[in-house]
Amino acid sequence: MESKPHCIIVMGMAGSGKTTFVRKLYSVLKVMQKNVYSINLDPAIRKLGFPANLDICDTINYKKLMQEYSLGPNGAIVTALNLFATKFFEVIDLLNSKQGIEFIIIDTPGQIETFSWSASGSIITEALSSSFPTSMIYVVDSVRTVNPNSFMSNMLYASSLYYKNQLPIIVVFNKTDLQPAETCMNWMIDFESYMESLDGISSHSYLANLNRSLALVLDEFYQDLPCLGVSSLTGFGFENLLPNMQKSKQEYLTIYLPELEKKKKLIEESRVKQEIQKMKKDNEDLSEIRKFMSELRTSEKNNENST
Amino acid sequence: MAQFSRYAQIVMGPAGSGKSTYCLIMQQHAGLLGKTIKIINLDPAAEIICYKPDLDIRKLVTLDDVMEETELGPNGGLVMALEYLLEHTDWLKETLDEFADDDYIIIDCPGQIELYTHMTIIKDFCKTMHELSYNICGIYTIDCTFISDASKFISASLMALSAMNQMEIPHVNVLTKCDLIKNKKELEDMLDTEPRDLLFDLPVYTTKFKNMSEKIANVLSDFNLVNYIPLDISDEETISAVMYQVDICIQYGETLEVYPKDNEDIEDDMEVDR
Repeated sequence: MESKPHCIIVMGMAGSGKTTFVRKLYSVLKVMQKNVYSINLDPAIRKLGFPANLDICDTINYKKLMQEYSLGPNGAIVTALNLFATKFFEVIDLLNSKQGIEFIIIDTPGQIETFSWSASGSIITEALSSSFPTSMIYVVDSVRTVNPNSFMSNMLYASSLYYKNQLPIIVVFNKTDLQPAETCMNWMIDFESYMESLDGISSHSYLANLNRSLALVLDEFYQDLPCLGVSSLTGFGFENLLPNMQKSKQEYLTIYLPELEKKKKLIEESRVKQEIQKMKKDNEDLSEIRKFMSELRTSEKNNENST
Repeated sequence: MAQFSRYAQIVMGPAGSGKSTYCLIMQQHAGLLGKTIKIINLDPAAEIICYKPDLDIRKLVTLDDVMEETELGPNGGLVMALEYLLEHTDWLKETLDEFADDDYIIIDCPGQIELYTHMTIIKDFCKTMHELSYNICGIYTIDCTFISDASKFISASLMALSAMNQMEIPHVNVLTKCDLIKNKKELEDMLDTEPRDLLFDLPVYTTKFKNMSEKIANVLSDFNLVNYIPLDISDEETISAVMYQVDICIQYGETLEVYPKDNEDIEDDMEVDR
């Protein structure tokens, strides 16, 4: 596993700058002469901006899908992903067959829940994470999250992804050319300063209590959480990204992989158990039949003797 | 504070979780009980809707219109369409006034979570409804086929919270598509367990997971946020259960005008007359 390529799934809310981020990451890695394989999973994208080795748009025509099946924009994305997911194991085989790849970067659809809460998104994520060391990069729009409520909602969503996929996560505050990430990153370290900013906004006391409790939950999430500010436009901050990515690959290998192996073992054990049960039953049936046959023969012999 | 006399549910949730189906089922069920439910469609990008909306944002503005005029993509267009609605509350008010006073309203929202997390649009919409004397309850729909174990359950709660925590309205989580799962008992057991006990079963990946799980369980229990109600559209009982829970949340019926007197009151009145 350790020698396998590091798979990075880039997720984030619509408008957070995922594709621009992937574009920059791709070029940064290329400049460092790394062997990168890029995959685009966003069927609705207009201009990709980076060369994609595998592009969902090549196999699926998004506009045609919407027209033919009278789907809205979200419905079409989900359907496109569904179609793609049915063939995804071929993609895994393809990736396994390529030699020397160091990074696999995956750009996900703009609408985050079409990937994070859909069956096809789950299939794709699980297929990747069981074959390659996989990490998630969650891209945050720094401009929007200056509002403490938006910040909390965003972080809640990130922690929800962390829980669901159980993979190492790196939080990237994008667009630092427009809004420095310091305020947000400070909130993650200094609980009190976050509460002060929040109190300035909450009008309801029940809500203030709830938000305080949620902030405590998130405090736990922030411990040892790799996060950094970048600008996908200028390239600022990308030098910090590489070491973080390396660390998260190690995290995968030391923590998630053993759990995965355990799960695989359990599944294999239960499958073997089932086979043994089946064999036992077959044997029982067989011995019943043998008994019956021998009784039949005995009674036949008796009949012959008597005549 | 405005005196609330009208009731509404605002239905939110990830794309494909069954929001529109929920609206239709509720309307049909209420119809059987003689109650009128009017449905408002707030999704300007919707193509075909399974119910007939009594108020449709697409009559005011559609996503295609916005995208053509402004060259925005689907996300930008969606936000602009909703902002346009908020700038034209008169249109909204006029149509709402045409509904009878005791009509119950269900509002079908677009799926994008960004609308709830990054923007205050839906929150502002709720404020506008409040000003029009509506008592609103938020419904967050989650596809139950995804809640296969405790960690996905927590993940769903966190996601619902990320949408609802800014809303300042009471909210109910509805697990949709329960007619699709075979082992209902397992789901029931999970829903009946205290969050703290559920988390006991979670594999302890890291101390971080363990600590987070404990804190989340406490919040969910303390704030009573684990009101997941399963909805199986083939089972009338579950539909009634959802209605009942929502009605409690918005105190439906408490401002009805008839107050039955009990015997003691009547006797007191009679005494005074003498």
